Amino acid sequence: MESGSAKWQRRLFIALFIIPTFAFFCLFTIYPVAKGLYYSMFDWSGMSQNKDFIGFDNFIEMFKDPIIWRAIGNDYFLVLGKVVGIMVLATFFAVALTRFNFKLAGFFRSIFFIPNVISVVVIGVLWNFIYNPQIGFLNAFLSLFTDEKVTITWLGFTNHTIWMLLPPAIWAGIGFYMILLIAAIQNIPASYFEAANLEGAGQWKQFVNITVPLIWEQMKVSILNIMMTTLNGSFVIVWIMTEGGPDNSTQVMGSYLYQMAFRQYHFGFGAAIGVLILVLSLITTVLLQRLLRHESVELS
Amino acid sequence: MMNKKKAATMSAAVLLASMALAGCGSNNDGGNAANTPAKNEPANTAANTTNASTGNAGTDAATTDGAKLTGDFEIQYFVGGYGDKWWTKVIADFQAANPDLHVKALGGPKINEQNKPRWIGGNPPDFVYIDGPELNDRQMVEDGQLEDLTDWIKDAKNVDGDKIIDILAQPPQQYDGKIYNIPLVLNSWGIFWNKALFKEKGWTEPQDFQQFMDVSDKIKSAGITPFIHTGKYPYYINGAFLYPAIVSANGGDYKILQDMAANKVEAYQSPSVLTALNKIVALRDKGFIDKASIQINHTDSQMLFLQNKDAFIPNGLWLPNEMSKDIPQGFDFGFIPSITQDAGQKIVANTSTATVAIAKNAKNKDAAKAFLQFVFSKAQASQWAELSGAPSNIKGDISASNAPSFVKDAAKYLTDPNTVVIPTITFNADVDKAMQDATDALTISKITPEEWVTRVTDVVKKAAK
Repeated sequence: MESGSAKWQRRLFIALFIIPTFAFFCLFTIYPVAKGLYYSMFDWSGMSQNKDFIGFDNFIEMFKDPIIWRAIGNDYFLVLGKVVGIMVLATFFAVALTRFNFKLAGFFRSIFFIPNVISVVVIGVLWNFIYNPQIGFLNAFLSLFTDEKVTITWLGFTNHTIWMLLPPAIWAGIGFYMILLIAAIQNIPASYFEAANLEGAGQWKQFVNITVPLIWEQMKVSILNIMMTTLNGSFVIVWIMTEGGPDNSTQVMGSYLYQMAFRQYHFGFGAAIGVLILVLSLITTVLLQRLLRHESVELS
Repeated sequence: MMNKKKAATMSAAVLLASMALAGCGSNNDGGNAANTPAKNEPANTAANTTNASTGNAGTDAATTDGAKLTGDFEIQYFVGGYGDKWWTKVIADFQAANPDLHVKALGGPKINEQNKPRWIGGNPPDFVYIDGPELNDRQMVEDGQLEDLTDWIKDAKNVDGDKIIDILAQPPQQYDGKIYNIPLVLNSWGIFWNKALFKEKGWTEPQDFQQFMDVSDKIKSAGITPFIHTGKYPYYINGAFLYPAIVSANGGDYKILQDMAANKVEAYQSPSVLTALNKIVALRDKGFIDKASIQINHTDSQMLFLQNKDAFIPNGLWLPNEMSKDIPQGFDFGFIPSITQDAGQKIVANTSTATVAIAKNAKNKDAAKAFLQFVFSKAQASQWAELSGAPSNIKGDISASNAPSFVKDAAKYLTDPNTVVIPTITFNADVDKAMQDATDALTISKITPEEWVTRVTDVVKKAAK
């Protein structure tokens, strides 16, 4: 039975931890979100002292805009592409570097992680050079196998350019998730695999029946994180590599938000896109969590 | 090499500044090179010209009623390709001329973003140089951020006693008949080539569209791509190729562009627009446009041009300066303001400017006006050219020695009364973006000229509401 003083001290102790964090959260998360919602209700250039309240007109206008639908499609294309690409490759590398004993495992672990420590801006510039039709590595490499010099404009096809943004995005993301999954795999007791070996289970069976179930939680977290960082962060790679072009073909919600708010002076409309990103992120997170619901297998 | 470049810039300044105006009539649109990112501006070359009288202009600036200027006076200036040497100097000179005034310089490459809250909050700096990202003169006028200078500029004299309006190479833009900002920098769009390469190959330097197409055939046969543009920023091809083509197709009358900027739908539906667009199609269908164009930025396209991988490039007069460190030995810039005119038609020079203005909510408008009178003087024109490496918008004779050929070419055209000089025009941001996207789409056969018109007019109708 706690005394009144001890109870009060306990509450004070908890409050000392919670209140500053909550204050920061309100100031740097809740307030900007609320402000974004507020601005989305106005016709405002972002420069004027005058804002005209227009209610939900920005949203109505936004849903009539064909570019926003293309941007949403591109965003989800990148989400899907990155989830599949990063998860498959990160899992493959994680398993390869933990389950197969070879000398250079440590070296490859570092190599695969390097793109993760490079700024996305640098990655964008780097891949722009790779894709450059005249002096790019990709065309130079392909030219080795052809009679004529290859001059494919990798970022110049309005129908396919968004595909070209997947490799750099996947390449940049593999390292982090690989490390996460390596840590998870290393937590699995070796005896499980030894027993499976004795039972005659091959590597694939071990992977499907032991590794995946036991690292599922980390995989789920990885998938959700890829989804959220893509919906909120594709802007950088898109803006550096294509600025949403050519002809808006690689526009994602983030880049279109920037374009409308700061280049075309429709700040209210941009804020409405921001609200859309928030709503879609929340909906997608909830849906993904339901979709990925899986009975956890616990290590005893 | 550098000296040559400096001289080039200086000379360009001279020539543009002293050019005769073709069509000083009012135009109902704002001009703004400002919206081009800083990266598109000429690199700063602090040319050491000898004859520029850069000292303090000497005349005490004062209010129109002769009272001494006092109080605080804030100047906002973006620092981009033109650098800040001129601003530092002119502000120091102005301060020295007005010791009772407290001049505060707010400059830097991020100043537009940094000061944005002040503009929104109704507490802007008194004086603003409209250049760089996130500042657009037309938008500022629409937002009511700029002081109406219409009546003031009619009779305003600079510190030398000259009427400012009379010494401007390009007149201020008008928005519904009103003037809010005055062009300080003057540049011109046009088409460049390498004269040395043309001489070596025996190609004719083109003077009209047919000649351009003929020589492009020869160029292509020689294994060089005739034309490269900056597809990532299609305002290059629009500014240097499409808009002059529209004016040429309109019989040399640039009012069509002003009507387009005023969001008049019928201007976009004019046959002149289709004629101009079909010139891009002609280039495209002949395979003259470098396929790399669509995905590359200005630096990449300019590098390919300098490497003679492409023969022509649409660009601005800042190009030689901007690429001064990368120009190969022997490269000799050829320049023509427009290439889209038919034989016998006038050449069309599409200018671009960066402007200065006074904030509507300025707290020291007297000082701001006095500063305008101070900067729009011939001494400052020389000083601007010397310290910023860019042409000034002030007519003035600063000697043009050692001018490289492209500057001489530019001068020849820009001072020729037979050249149609388009006052700078700023389109509505949405319309501008729509035109850029549509032009890109046209160059890669994604749309037809008719679809270009339909697409853009849809945006114009919306913007006009």
